[in-house]
Amino acid sequence: MSAQPLVVIRELTKSFMEVRALDQVSLELAPGHIVGLLGPNGSGKSTLLRHIIGLYLPAAGSCCTFGCEAAQLGPSELARIGYVHQEGDLLDYMTTAQHIRYVASYYPHWNRDLERDYCDRFELPLDRKVGNLSPGQRQRLAILLAIGFEPELLLLDEPAAALDPIARQDFLDLLLELIQDTERAIVISSHILTDVEKVIDQVVILDRGRLLRDCGLDDLREEYCRLRLTSLNGPLPDELPFADVYACEREGSQALLTLRRVPAQQLKEISDRLHCQTELLPLTLTELYRLVVGELGNRRALS
Amino acid sequence: MLIQIDTHGGVPIYRQIIDQVRRQIMTGHLEAGDQLESVQSLASRLKVNPMTISKAYSFLVQEGLAERRRGVGLFVATIARNQSRQTKRELLAEALQEAAALAVQMDIPDAEASDLLAQHLRSFRAQKGGRKQ
Repeated sequence: MSAQPLVVIRELTKSFMEVRALDQVSLELAPGHIVGLLGPNGSGKSTLLRHIIGLYLPAAGSCCTFGCEAAQLGPSELARIGYVHQEGDLLDYMTTAQHIRYVASYYPHWNRDLERDYCDRFELPLDRKVGNLSPGQRQRLAILLAIGFEPELLLLDEPAAALDPIARQDFLDLLLELIQDTERAIVISSHILTDVEKVIDQVVILDRGRLLRDCGLDDLREEYCRLRLTSLNGPLPDELPFADVYACEREGSQALLTLRRVPAQQLKEISDRLHCQTELLPLTLTELYRLVVGELGNRRALS
Repeated sequence: MLIQIDTHGGVPIYRQIIDQVRRQIMTGHLEAGDQLESVQSLASRLKVNPMTISKAYSFLVQEGLAERRRGVGLFVATIARNQSRQTKRELLAEALQEAAALAVQMDIPDAEASDLLAQHLRSFRAQKGGRKQ
C-alpha cells in the first residue's frame, strides 16, 4: 500500500520580494489519495502547486515530481500531470469542440469515451465560442482539458469555485470515479471545505507559507471530538476534569466541550465519577480546520 | 452488502463501514463463509476511495470478523461462540445505554422502563416468529 510517492517536497522555500510564500515545506504525495490543500488566500497553496509542475523553481530545498527536479521536468513528465488553475486561460476564438480537439492532439492517449461522457454530463455547448462561455462552463471545459488524457497526477487549484452547487456535486463524484484507479493522485486546493470534505482522505494545511498539518482526514477526525456531558444528578461541577479543551459551553446540568479525544476507558471513569452521561459527537472539516489553525496560533503565541 | 455512507456527519467512512459490516455479521445477515464484496466493486458502488475500503477491511480482519483467502478475496470468518457473544453484548449495551440515560433524565421509573423494553422485545419476537412459519 505504501507505493512510491509521485511527488517529494523537501524543505521547499520560496520568496517573492520580501514575502515568504513557502517556508521549509516538506510533503509527499502518494498514489491512491485525494489530497485537500487547505489554507486562507495567500497561504501558499497555488505557489506550492506551481512548483510541482515546474512553473516555479525552489529558492531553497527541492520539489521532485515523478522523481524529476522541478527545473528538469520535460514533456514526458508534464504529459502525466493535469493542472487546472484559477485564471484558466483558454483560447477564446475557438469553439468548445475545436478547443478540445486542439488540446487532445497533443496527447496520444486522449480518452475519447471519457470526453464524450463528460461533455454530456456537464452539458458543454460544443458549438459555442469559448469566449462566450459562462464562467461555470469555462471551468468545466478547463477541467475536461486537464483530465482527458488521464493524468496520473491531477492538480486542481480552486476548481469548483465558479460551479453551481449541482455541478460541484457532479464534479466531486467525478473525482471519486477518477481515484478508483489507485495509481493516480489528486490534489485539490479549496476554501469551500464542506465540498472537499466528502472526497479528500489526506489533509494538508498551509498558513502563511508554513505547513501546519499533513495527515489523514480520518486521523484528524479521531484526534479531536465534541463531547456532550449530561449530569444525571444535579448540576455539573465547576471544574471539569479534561485537559486540552478548546471550547466549552455550559448550561446547568449540560456541557458541550470541544477537545482532544479522550480514551474510552478514561471517559468511562470520568462519567462514572461525575454521574453523567457522555456522548461523543464528530466534528466537521471546517471545525477541525479551525482547531488546527487556531491551536497552533496559540502555541506560537505562548512560546 | 447493504451499506449506507454518510459523508456529512463527520464520522470517518471506514468506521461507518466497519460498524455496518460488524452489525450485519452479528445479526446473521452475513454468515461465516460469505464472501465480502471486493474493494474495487464496493468503492465504485459507494463512490468512496478504494483505500478507505481497504482500511475498513483490514480492521475487520484484525478484529477476527473476516479472513483473507489468497487470490480469492475476503470472507466472513467463523467466530468463536464466546467472542461473538461478547461482541453482541457490546453492541446491545451501546444501544441500551442511550435509552437508559434518557429514562433516568426523564424520571421514568425502572419498572416502567423495563416494561417498555419487554413490550418491544415481545413485539419483535412475534414478528420474527411469524416470518419463520
